[in-house]
Amino acid sequence: MTAQSESGGGGLFGAIRSYRQSRDRQAAVRKSNLLGYLFIAPAMALYLTFNVWPIFRGFAMAFTDYRFVYPDTRWDFNGFGNFVKMVGDRRAMDAAGISLKYLVFVAPAMILIALFLAVLISKVKRGAAFYRWVVYLPAVLPVAVIFLMFGEMYGFQFGFINTVLRDWGIENPPNWLGDRELALPSIGAAHIWMIFGFPTLLFLIGIYNIGSEMYEAASLDGANGWQQFRFLTAPLLKPTFALIVVLNLPLFGVVEPMLILNNGGPANSTRTLGLYLYQQAFEVGDLRLGYAAAISLVIGVISALIAGLIFRWSRQ
Amino acid sequence: MASDADTSGIGRQAAEMTDSPMFRLRAWLRQTDFFSHVLLALVTFIVLLPLLWIIATSFKDRLEFSTNSAALIPSSFSLVNYQYMFEAIQLLPIYMRNSFILAGGVTLIQVLCSALAGYAFARMRFWGRDFIFIAIIVSMFVPRAGGLMALYELMSFLKLRNSLFGLILLFAAGLPAAIFIMRQAFLSIPQEVEESAFIDGASWWHTFWYIALPLASSAMVIIGTLAFVGVWSDYIITYTMIDRDAQLTISVGIKKVLATSYESALSPRFRNQFAGEAADATMLLFSALPVIIIYALMQKWFMRGLTEGAIKF
Repeated sequence: MTAQSESGGGGLFGAIRSYRQSRDRQAAVRKSNLLGYLFIAPAMALYLTFNVWPIFRGFAMAFTDYRFVYPDTRWDFNGFGNFVKMVGDRRAMDAAGISLKYLVFVAPAMILIALFLAVLISKVKRGAAFYRWVVYLPAVLPVAVIFLMFGEMYGFQFGFINTVLRDWGIENPPNWLGDRELALPSIGAAHIWMIFGFPTLLFLIGIYNIGSEMYEAASLDGANGWQQFRFLTAPLLKPTFALIVVLNLPLFGVVEPMLILNNGGPANSTRTLGLYLYQQAFEVGDLRLGYAAAISLVIGVISALIAGLIFRWSRQ
Repeated sequence: MASDADTSGIGRQAAEMTDSPMFRLRAWLRQTDFFSHVLLALVTFIVLLPLLWIIATSFKDRLEFSTNSAALIPSSFSLVNYQYMFEAIQLLPIYMRNSFILAGGVTLIQVLCSALAGYAFARMRFWGRDFIFIAIIVSMFVPRAGGLMALYELMSFLKLRNSLFGLILLFAAGLPAAIFIMRQAFLSIPQEVEESAFIDGASWWHTFWYIALPLASSAMVIIGTLAFVGVWSDYIITYTMIDRDAQLTISVGIKKVLATSYESALSPRFRNQFAGEAADATMLLFSALPVIIIYALMQKWFMRGLTEGAIKF
């Protein structure tokens, strides 16, 4: 209010006053301001408590023999004991193998599907918005609904897939989720259905960013569809590709599908490392949070190493 | 691409070629992206297939399901599954209510906190501002090794396990992306409006609340939508933190009320009228309905939120 009433007046003093005023005004916006801390306080309080603290605590926990049932063991540091134990733990090693199989099956298939769909969608002039909507739809559904739904789809007797197979004359359709060989790929297929949407959108953004001029120039030079893809789209999508791979590395720690559908069965053929650590932490007797945190750290370090390698590759 | 259509009119030979019906057909196919559309229609069908089947199955009674379980259009419609769901499953309304409280609470807190913080990071100058902001963004990419275990300990210590309130705080804390989007939104607003408000003697709070915030409302809608859907769909954190029915959400509780695992508790009234799988399908559909509706209504915001986040990083 005072600023407004002072704004009148002419001559030199008026000029000085208005100069000062504009400086003050800028200062009001730009200068140091304790109120800023107040504005970020609620967000920071939440973020520090529930997001930053667990990073450090989780890391420290990996080097303890913390069993939740015995609170005294909270700070029982045992150095690298957990990691040594893990290497000697047959079940953990088997689970790591299953996790790796899952990652190697799901990630490449999913990325190829996403790339193919993105190229297809980028080609159509009308209806692209609808296809984008459809493609991302599975990603918003609750994960439990998705896997339970696929559980019904895979149902041995009345499941959609087996009913259709019987209608086509296949006498003994497989028991998808009950078979030791088939359970993991079956879950993986459902997982691909769930998560392929986001990579598709990322690839699509990448292709849109390349711009239609480049494609027009390429087609004037006589490049056919495949050549355009091979020499234009693919190289320019390399960074997107790297980003997608890195975003999907958490597949190595996959736990939710198994937790929801069959808890690692049949005969532990789908007990991934993620599920194994979850069971160690929250289901087995004395809740071995320390050991579980160590396994989790191993998963994190391996993922980070792969991510680093992929980023170096994409920079080349 | 469009090249074939463009070459017309070069010469007589070309004109003759373009006059042939085969060429016109091919040109039409190219122009309308016919083959791409066919392939994409196929993909659309595959993507929607499980949902279509679930929807169809929810209208099948016991006889229809056992004889015609794969049909995507039932030969006779029945509402018995819906009757069973609404009458016999006592826990369903409780789960639903909890889900709405949780997702709604998180949405509210997250929109408010990220708006406040985003405004401070965009407009106010205080010591360490940029450092704090960058630290938040970087910390997003630090893997949360042992995070779930640490959270379990933390929530137990704070006596917030089995508490919807605790879970709201926990989910609302996932703020970095929201803060980033809000800061971006405030930065894109011209500063003059706010400056003239300061001249008129408005306080920071007043300027933020009445001038800047309404101009950033689309970013708030994006954040709120993503938060609501994300929290509604969560499984593992809720499953770990809540083990009482009274506080459970639908996305976790759904597994408990499925008829295939609930056979003994079937009410006598519905026995032999419906198939367990069909009743399950109904409940799965019902529990996902809110996010499907939001996704259908908020399509534009979703795509903007996802692409903005993706491009700017």
